[in-house]
Amino acid sequence: MRREIPMAITFIIGIVLLASYYFTGTLPGTSWTLANVSKDITTWGVIVAAFAVGLASVNLVRIHGNKIARKRPDWIHSAALIFTMTAFIVVGVYNKHFPANETASTLFRNMFDNIYSPLGAAMFAIIAFYVASASYRAFRARSIEASFLLGAAVLVMIGSAPIGALIWDQFPVISKWLLNVVNTSGQRGIAIGLAIGGFAASVRILLGLDRGHLGE
Amino acid sequence: MNYEKLQNVDRRIIYTLLIVVLLIPMFKPLGIPLAVNATTQKVYDLIEALNPNEDVALFVIDYSPGGSPDVHPQAMAVAEHLRRRGIKTVMVAFVDAGAMFGEQILDVMLAKGWVYGTDVVNLGYMPGMETGVKNFAENPGGSFTVDNRGNTVADMPIMQGITHITDFAFIVDFQTGNPGYQEFLRQVQGPYGVPYAAGIVTVSVPNTLPYVASGQISGLLQGLRGAAEYEILLGAPGGGAAKMDAQSLGHLLIIGFILVGNFAYFMTKKKPTR
Repeated sequence: MRREIPMAITFIIGIVLLASYYFTGTLPGTSWTLANVSKDITTWGVIVAAFAVGLASVNLVRIHGNKIARKRPDWIHSAALIFTMTAFIVVGVYNKHFPANETASTLFRNMFDNIYSPLGAAMFAIIAFYVASASYRAFRARSIEASFLLGAAVLVMIGSAPIGALIWDQFPVISKWLLNVVNTSGQRGIAIGLAIGGFAASVRILLGLDRGHLGE
Repeated sequence: MNYEKLQNVDRRIIYTLLIVVLLIPMFKPLGIPLAVNATTQKVYDLIEALNPNEDVALFVIDYSPGGSPDVHPQAMAVAEHLRRRGIKTVMVAFVDAGAMFGEQILDVMLAKGWVYGTDVVNLGYMPGMETGVKNFAENPGGSFTVDNRGNTVADMPIMQGITHITDFAFIVDFQTGNPGYQEFLRQVQGPYGVPYAAGIVTVSVPNTLPYVASGQISGLLQGLRGAAEYEILLGAPGGGAAKMDAQSLGHLLIIGFILVGNFAYFMTKKKPTR
């Protein structure tokens, strides 16, 4: 039963959501429509997702708390994580429940605007340095295929930057052709393949042939 | 010349060159002219075609701090356009940081005259990723009881009459990943046909182009350049346009690195082995 009940729930919910796209009438003998049932199911989904965020926080505290307690290597990073998370939760929850409190509101805004936001942007910006280093050291025309890739990358890069048009007015034209014709046809093929694969995987999950979501 | 040494140049030299090249135009802008892309023009035209007396726009803020330098200037520029045109705007986020970026935009736009609750509202963050998008689409007014600032949503003039995603005349979605255009095309644009435009990070541009070609994405802002182009269309060059010179020089430097690296590689290969 531990396997059959979750499989039955998956099948029923999946079929209802799928059918709600195609059938608009009421269910026989009731005033219910599949659209209404689907709306209730997605509302449950949103609530479960919100709880999952809370559960993930508890899990983080458990894992990193354990690391701190046992003084494992780099435990100081775990301590920083728990301290930061606690500070954001305490200030954020207080701010949410007492929105009129200017101090809490300003503190929360400052924490987001002046700590979290610039640190996140800085992490992303560091990639530029890795890209620059990789472009010098690793991006080599070792084969015909690599040469095509390299040539396309250089043309798209120069054509996408405003300076490209200043150097030669055909650079943006070539860049757009590569993106809109060569790239788009390839991306379209990948997207169609992914959609067919996704459909097949969904059918397997609905029929209980694929039980990865049950931890098997 | 020692080509092997040239091939294995110290990475600190590469980093320093990149920093210098990016910083110079920040202090002394070069003023490189910028042509407006057709996909950016389309977003502008879609907003120009809205009717301020009856149309409401949905402004989705689905970007994280990591991608915000690329996407936030786009959101600022589009919000400015919506404000200028007097289009009522409902902000919502399906990414946790989105609601706070909405507040950053509101700080600027409310100071310029947008009235909160009448012209604009920031509903806040809705969890659930794609499920959240679907749930919101079916009942935007009922999905939130209070907005991001703790006000009762049902009492707000801007939310009167909004019961379904089709009550929005236009959706513009600023994103750095999931949920993003894929989820909106599957759950909103496909089933309900509401005009949908996206503002994305530059690295996502190649993935989105098939959907632009098919017309499912009606307009597209492509990274920081998209923001700069939009600022030019508004006649108010700002944060996006200022950074485009740095991007141009950065691209040129990386192309230079590729060429020098490959030159050194081929010269090393050509050397006779003993």
